[in-house]
Amino acid sequence: MSPSAVVQGPASSCVDSQSGTYEVLSPIYSTAGGINSSRHPPLGRSRGEPMSADKAPGEASVAPTEPGPIVAVQHLVKRYGDLVAVNDVSFSIRKGEIFGIVGPNGAGKTTTVECISGLRVPDSGQIFVDGLSPRTDRKKMREFVGVQLQEGALPPIITVGEAVELFASFYRDPLTPDRLLESLGIGELKQKQFQKLSGGQKQRLSIALALVGNPRIAILDELTTGLDPEARRETWDLIEHIRERGVTVILVTHFMDEAERLCDRLALIDHGVVRVLDTPEAITARVGGVRVRFVPSVPVDDSTLRAIPGVETIERKDRYITVTGTGDLATSVLDALRKAGVSVSELEARKGNLDDAFVKLTRNAGPEERDSA
Amino acid sequence: MTSDPSPSRTRERTRGAFSELLKVQWRLALRQRYIFTGLVLPTALLVVFWAIGRLNPGEVAGSGLTILELWTPTILVISYIAIGLLGLPATFARDREIGWLRRVSTTPIPPSMLLAAQLLLNLIIAAVATAFLLIVTIAIFGAPLTVGVEFVGIAFLAIVEMFSLGMVVAAIAPSQQAAEYIAGGFVFPLMFLSGLWVQPVQVGGALATIMYYSPTGAAVRAILYSVFNAVPPYTTLVTMVVYTVIFAFIAVRFFRWE
Repeated sequence: MSPSAVVQGPASSCVDSQSGTYEVLSPIYSTAGGINSSRHPPLGRSRGEPMSADKAPGEASVAPTEPGPIVAVQHLVKRYGDLVAVNDVSFSIRKGEIFGIVGPNGAGKTTTVECISGLRVPDSGQIFVDGLSPRTDRKKMREFVGVQLQEGALPPIITVGEAVELFASFYRDPLTPDRLLESLGIGELKQKQFQKLSGGQKQRLSIALALVGNPRIAILDELTTGLDPEARRETWDLIEHIRERGVTVILVTHFMDEAERLCDRLALIDHGVVRVLDTPEAITARVGGVRVRFVPSVPVDDSTLRAIPGVETIERKDRYITVTGTGDLATSVLDALRKAGVSVSELEARKGNLDDAFVKLTRNAGPEERDSA
Repeated sequence: MTSDPSPSRTRERTRGAFSELLKVQWRLALRQRYIFTGLVLPTALLVVFWAIGRLNPGEVAGSGLTILELWTPTILVISYIAIGLLGLPATFARDREIGWLRRVSTTPIPPSMLLAAQLLLNLIIAAVATAFLLIVTIAIFGAPLTVGVEFVGIAFLAIVEMFSLGMVVAAIAPSQQAAEYIAGGFVFPLMFLSGLWVQPVQVGGALATIMYYSPTGAAVRAILYSVFNAVPPYTTLVTMVVYTVIFAFIAVRFFRWE
């Protein structure tokens, strides 16, 4: 792992030191965690192994007993002509975790996972998937790596049942198609043609095809893009069920709420390099900063706000002003505005979330430029 | 779970996957009436030429053959043109365009197996069309044709020839639309050369020679000899083999899975 590319940090200390300082006055910004419904029965298994998914939701967790990396990516480089899509990316993924690969569009996320799955050949660097090389052991690897592609395209008139049974026939030790479809909540769609499915149903089928081979590793690319909020939340529940079965999940996404909710650790990739790799909490605590929103009693201009220590960005919407930055921001803002003879109402302060951290890490600009943006 | 499967088990599973692929593709072909690709136009042509033959009995241009007898090989080859050029490349280009081949290539099954299943399916469809057209010609319209091993071999070669040209189209076409346009450009010349509008015995001269040495004209001529229990001129077979090899070479050379 190249130390320059990966920001390491003690996660817990950051969280603790900051959570004591800032009072969260309003819960409206808090992320919607804890939705852990088990609407869907556990995923189907064909053979008699006990299912960890039988445990109550929340009880099952990632095995923390120091397992070695199941996927190791070392100094991966991939170019398309002159464009360097992935530039010296290194990370390793632990067995049983949900590992997020996040970043803006065109950052090199998909290229990275395509190299892991063996769909693309890297220009340089090494990849090991459970000790195998995607380049030379492609065939063996495909037995235990399930892939869900960004555009999960099937012949329009194939039915759900036909597609899943077909894919089951490709693998040595597949799950039972009927039970799998049942567990994904699309059991009643067996006779339905692919072209007649809704976006969410297509996505579920796509997950079914990625899982029917009973993989140890599932690569899921832009899983919830194009889904409505309800379908997204249901898909997230499915991913948690997959993890509970002990499957290592590599999740590619550009949705920060998704990464925050699902991932045990994540790598933020931007312009082909890893900007940060850590748990979502640690990244948020270290980089996310603070966000303070208020309504001033009289108009306040930007220069006054920018003069306040710690302020980095200023956003205005209707009557509201939101400043983000670091340090004891709420206190600084209140003090400075009181001195300027401005009183403040509807004050809300919260820690920055992953989204804020993401914006800061991908904007390679100083505070001045950010303000004007 | 990590131990290597025995070779025999892998073979067995590969066979299972292949028959499952073939089964699903057969069902899809039935569902979208793809099965009629090589049947509708040739059957209509057969009826038309039977009717023309009824109105104009007797031999054509001193060939000793009636209109129906002379045109039946042409109609068979037109069926192969329809399947090989209008059906096969469009399906394959679509599967590639929508990412189905790519999706399959993430599984332990290579996409070449999908192609193999598709070729076999189209071969079966061509065989069904051939049988149907011959039954109508012989049993219903009463043409005195014989179907032997020679005919089966030559028809198979003609089908392979058209399929390899179809794979050229599939190889060079970037999309289903493009495949349909490119194939469309081939279809009319190939139909003409197969003698649909005029038979070589009627025109003679240079045009007849061109037709005899064309991909479809050679196939029609070889089939015509074989259904009358005669040995076809070896040039017809050589012509077909040479075209097949050239088409296959180009198809392999330009083939893309993605």
